Amino acid sequence: MTVRVLQLVTVIAGLGLWELAARSGWVDPLFVPAPSAVAPALVRIGGGALAGLADTLGKTALAYVLSVVLGVSAGIAVGSVRLLRDVLSPYVIALYGIPKILVLPWIVLLLGYGTTPAVFYGTLHGFFPIMVLVMGAVRDVDRTLVTVARSLGATTWQLYWKVLMPAIVPSVLAGMRLGIVFCLLGVLVVEMFAGVRGMGHVLGSFANGFQAPELFAATALVSAASIAIVLALDHLNDTLSRWRG
Amino acid sequence: MKVVGLRLALLALFLAAWEVAGRTMNPLLGVPPSVVLPALRDLLLLRSYPDLLASLALTVREIVTAYALAVAAGLGCGFMLGMHRLVGRAWGPMLAALYAVPAVVWYPSLMLFFGLDAASKIAFGFLLGFFPIALAVLAGIRQVNPQLVVVARAYGAGTVTVFRRVMLPAMLFTLVGGLRTGLALCVIGVIVGEILGSKAGMGALINHAYGLLRTGDYVALVLVTLTLVVGSDVLASLLERRASRWTE
Repeated sequence: MTVRVLQLVTVIAGLGLWELAARSGWVDPLFVPAPSAVAPALVRIGGGALAGLADTLGKTALAYVLSVVLGVSAGIAVGSVRLLRDVLSPYVIALYGIPKILVLPWIVLLLGYGTTPAVFYGTLHGFFPIMVLVMGAVRDVDRTLVTVARSLGATTWQLYWKVLMPAIVPSVLAGMRLGIVFCLLGVLVVEMFAGVRGMGHVLGSFANGFQAPELFAATALVSAASIAIVLALDHLNDTLSRWRG
Repeated sequence: MKVVGLRLALLALFLAAWEVAGRTMNPLLGVPPSVVLPALRDLLLLRSYPDLLASLALTVREIVTAYALAVAAGLGCGFMLGMHRLVGRAWGPMLAALYAVPAVVWYPSLMLFFGLDAASKIAFGFLLGFFPIALAVLAGIRQVNPQLVVVARAYGAGTVTVFRRVMLPAMLFTLVGGLRTGLALCVIGVIVGEILGSKAGMGALINHAYGLLRTGDYVALVLVTLTLVVGSDVLASLLERRASRWTE
């Protein structure tokens, strides 16, 4: 209870201070508009921004499905074969770690402007964290379970489906939770770098046009959307893990 | 041994495939290693980009500044939230929610406010590095066994001693992990910032080469930047190993 009150007080105090700072001229309203200027801007940009958001979220959804499917399959394939895992894991970790923005210009040269590079780059961002998590989970599956299943005559198919899959569910869910933010990030970066549509492009053009209230409103819109998506996934995660017991 | 051999073989196979694929592609797009190597030599001899060293120095300076700020603010904020239970319970989730927003959405606002120069890159690197550090401090404080603190206090240990002798060793592992992640993200933040819009630094050179379709130079610049990225991570991992030796 007190926690909620404190959170509310923080938000209100923050907005109040911000409004005060903008009105009294501590910060230049040309660059940092007051909340009272941002709110009407939110209405003003309404339709266009929502269309941009829908475009971005559509690409993100596609990239996300690709990342999850490819990441989980690659994680299982590489994680469950000892030799493959030993040979590939340093490469996978290295690819996960390097800033993918460095290859973005080349991707844009190759795939052009528009939807394809955004989906590709979003997938590239989401794929590695999911694969690394799943790979680790498969490696850490209790060996005893595998041995027992084998000695009781389980086929390879049964081993994967009945032993491996249930054991890695928590990691898959953790990967899915992590992956969505990475996918959205990737899509937004491409839209900012070489976009003709979508929220990244909208943000970039407001910044270039010095339309600070509109820019802040659009930023708030994307942030709210991504927080909502992550909270929804967290909720789903909780429900699923309660169901799993 | 066999594994190392296979790894090298895979790398060789990859380079060979890249060479073959690069030669068949449009030369403006495909850059086989045989084209990259001369471009890299020209770059390192300062023939293609005479201002390479100045750009590299600027990028390093931006990273160092952003990281110093992120460490100071992350530690400060993390300890403040961790020490005060109520504040931590109220602000912790808000911090975590903000962390769930893909940070790049803040970049246009930062660019508007701080301009195209180094300040906006420092601000963005700071923003990316700050969260993992602050959240690691929070998580680390939660790992400290409160009974140990109570016992230490009962034996008359002051705040500083409790912190140094009880808390720090217990949370060091998590803390150092957060500091390492923070550095990696600071580096990424500065580079992303430079590529999305800058007038100087490695990102500006990369954009220049890309814009003029000097693809060989572009790949060479990317390789130099990658060295910087890998170098910073190696440095961080050495420090991490030192810290873990200290706890033992």
